[in-house]
Amino acid sequence: MDYTIWNVAPIVLLPFFAFVINAFIVKRFTSLAVLISCGSILGSFFFAAKIFFDFINKFSENYYIHKTFTWFDLSYANMPFKMDMGIYIDNMTATMLFMVTGVAFLIHVFSTYYMKEDKRYGRFFVYLSLFTSAMLALVLSENLISVFIFWELMGFCSYSLIGFYYEKEGAGNASMKAFMTTRVGDVFFLFGIIAIWSVVGSVSFVDIYAAIAAGKFSGLLALGLPLATLAAICVFLGTVGKSAQFPLQVWLPDAMFGPTPCSALIHAATMVAAGVYLSLRCYPLMEVGEITYAISIIGGITAFGAATIALVQTDIKAVLAYSTISQLGYMVLGVGVGSYNAAFMHLITHAVFKACLFLSAGSVIHSLHDHHTHAHVQEMPRMGGLRHKMPYTFLAMLCCTFAIAGIPFFSGFVSKDRILGDALLMATHSKWYWIPTILGFAGAFLTAFYMFRMMFLTFFGEPRDKDLYDHTKKEKISWNRNIPLLILSVFTLGLFYAGSLTGQGFAKVAGERYEWFQTLITKPVVSEFSSRTKQAFSFSSTPSGLNFEKSQYDSSHGLSEKEAHHVHTVHHIGALVSIVIAFSGVFLAAMMYLWRKWNPGFWVNTFSGWYRALQNKYYMDDLYIKVLIQKGLLKLNNVLAFIDMGIYDRYIVDGTAFMNRVFFTVAKTTDDVIVDGSVDLTGKSVKAFNVILRTIQSGKIQVYFIMIILVLTGYIWKLSL
Amino acid sequence: MVSLSSYLFISFALFISGLAVMIARKNIIAILLGIELILNSAALNFAAYARFVNQNIDGHLMSLFIIVIAAAEAAVGLAIVIRFFQIKETIHIDDATQLQA
Repeated sequence: MDYTIWNVAPIVLLPFFAFVINAFIVKRFTSLAVLISCGSILGSFFFAAKIFFDFINKFSENYYIHKTFTWFDLSYANMPFKMDMGIYIDNMTATMLFMVTGVAFLIHVFSTYYMKEDKRYGRFFVYLSLFTSAMLALVLSENLISVFIFWELMGFCSYSLIGFYYEKEGAGNASMKAFMTTRVGDVFFLFGIIAIWSVVGSVSFVDIYAAIAAGKFSGLLALGLPLATLAAICVFLGTVGKSAQFPLQVWLPDAMFGPTPCSALIHAATMVAAGVYLSLRCYPLMEVGEITYAISIIGGITAFGAATIALVQTDIKAVLAYSTISQLGYMVLGVGVGSYNAAFMHLITHAVFKACLFLSAGSVIHSLHDHHTHAHVQEMPRMGGLRHKMPYTFLAMLCCTFAIAGIPFFSGFVSKDRILGDALLMATHSKWYWIPTILGFAGAFLTAFYMFRMMFLTFFGEPRDKDLYDHTKKEKISWNRNIPLLILSVFTLGLFYAGSLTGQGFAKVAGERYEWFQTLITKPVVSEFSSRTKQAFSFSSTPSGLNFEKSQYDSSHGLSEKEAHHVHTVHHIGALVSIVIAFSGVFLAAMMYLWRKWNPGFWVNTFSGWYRALQNKYYMDDLYIKVLIQKGLLKLNNVLAFIDMGIYDRYIVDGTAFMNRVFFTVAKTTDDVIVDGSVDLTGKSVKAFNVILRTIQSGKIQVYFIMIILVLTGYIWKLSL
Repeated sequence: MVSLSSYLFISFALFISGLAVMIARKNIIAILLGIELILNSAALNFAAYARFVNQNIDGHLMSLFIIVIAAAEAAVGLAIVIRFFQIKETIHIDDATQLQA
């Protein structure tokens, strides 16, 4: 049960080496590159699975692995400036590793089907490997700086993948938009790290928890706000950027320009999950900064707002994109209402069913080939009746749709219902929490509606584009197309995540082990972290190199019987309401799009203003581009450009150049006339002397005779005087 | 009576004529002949001084040495002239201005 570093390191290093090998060595041999990528992620899946099942077998929230090494130590005197790097694995990390590697592996396998005919097939896998390894490294990180490093690395990978079809109009802009929008959050995240560093002197999660427990944040003010609030807001804004929450959600729908498997990876296992994961890790900071209510509001707005936009989308991937934003809103709402466990559970369940939904959508898109334009078809108005053509994809997608819509017995119901139940519980305590709660329930209704609208439009009814339908081949089961989908769809069943099939409050059918999620994933109690000591990394192969440690952790929630009863009652009510609204959403969708009893056009005409607003995504893109960027940032940019070009360049840079030219002229004259003149004078005088000497040294022996005689004569004459 | 000054006069005449030959003629062999004349004038000087001043045979010995040296020098000089002729195909002294062939 004891680990060495080689049990953990391969999880990150295998995909990373696959990236290095594919990117720099085997470039040309595409099939080998694909094999390396898939094999490496499968390998890291096995390592992650071992860790995950070891933690499950321990079955306690107390176990963790925390190893660090000193990255650099620049402290002098009493100024500490020391940075540690390392790994921190607890139940949450282990679960996350298992999910990320598993989902990423299935996405890799599906990509071999989807990207097969692409001319940049190999390059796609290069990015996939790097993306996955960055996410795994982020999950393993024990401090905010290394989280930030891999966070940015993922930003780069998503940039590359969204802009993968760079010939397509808009793909380049979409990738830039994604990168720049998340950048806004990243900058704040960096500020947050700095704020935390200034207080704690370390950015390790454990140190942050210990500092919160020690009350280091209390009483500190910055910019008129408590420092803890400021730091929490900044870190949360990082989440807002990365997880596409309300003000910064605009990048995610545009991310659909990328290939569908990469959308699956971005929307499920990696990119957006990182934001929620970070806010869960920093939950004690959010709590001490007292911004949980703001977080729940942001989550509620996102969950509801994105769901409303999804109602009017006609592109199958766009519906899924908005559903992702909406589901992320639920996770953030969960964080906000203190539903730590359920928020993380929703992260995991959502990762599974959303990966499956995207891969199914990819399967549908890939088979629908327009013979006139030679393009794949994504528009739902041209689909319909496809369940006859692709039954396996239909089955997988149906399971996931049940899950995301919150139909009982499916995973989405369990996790979403727990979040909403906790929100309802908070609302009974404080009336302000009614706002996010109602937004959440309304969003759940809309989710059921738009997801089934998508299903009915795609798979049911009569084919609306007969030509397209007839040209579509009947689906045959194949290992890299349907198997990943079916595996993922199996895991949309609720029983993998919770013992009570329907979720909170219903009879437990199995032992406590089946409630592993609720037992193992617990809110970090900050006071437990004060006594923890870091352990140094050791690369020795002896088992003592890396072992489990157990903290003195008290998991009793300290609820009185009356409170517990209240909690249960509220959760029962929440569950019932969830079921009712989920089924009413499905019913409404069926009335409109399956049985065609109610005409959707009637609603469109009645609320045409709202419809236009929804189609234009509440004009937020326009707001950002036309108002914020063109009216604000561009003006600022012009001013800055004027300062730069008109003042700085013109007077300082050009002035320096002018002064240089003057100095140059003076120096050149001095050089030419005085220095060169004296040098030349030396040469010339030597040359003149040379002329005399050369004349004498004629080489004619008789001249020498004459000279000898003359000299001798002169000598003798001088002697004789 | 033949006096010392007579010898010295003849010796001087030999020396001057040898020198004139050496400077004026362009033929290398003629120059070698001029050198022989100068050497002879020196030998005559030695012999004369030995007869009239020292009254011993040192000067005579010196004369014999000079004759031997003159012979050796003529041999070497002529050898050089032959080599020079083989290279340049002339024995004009003004062509002999370079140390290298």
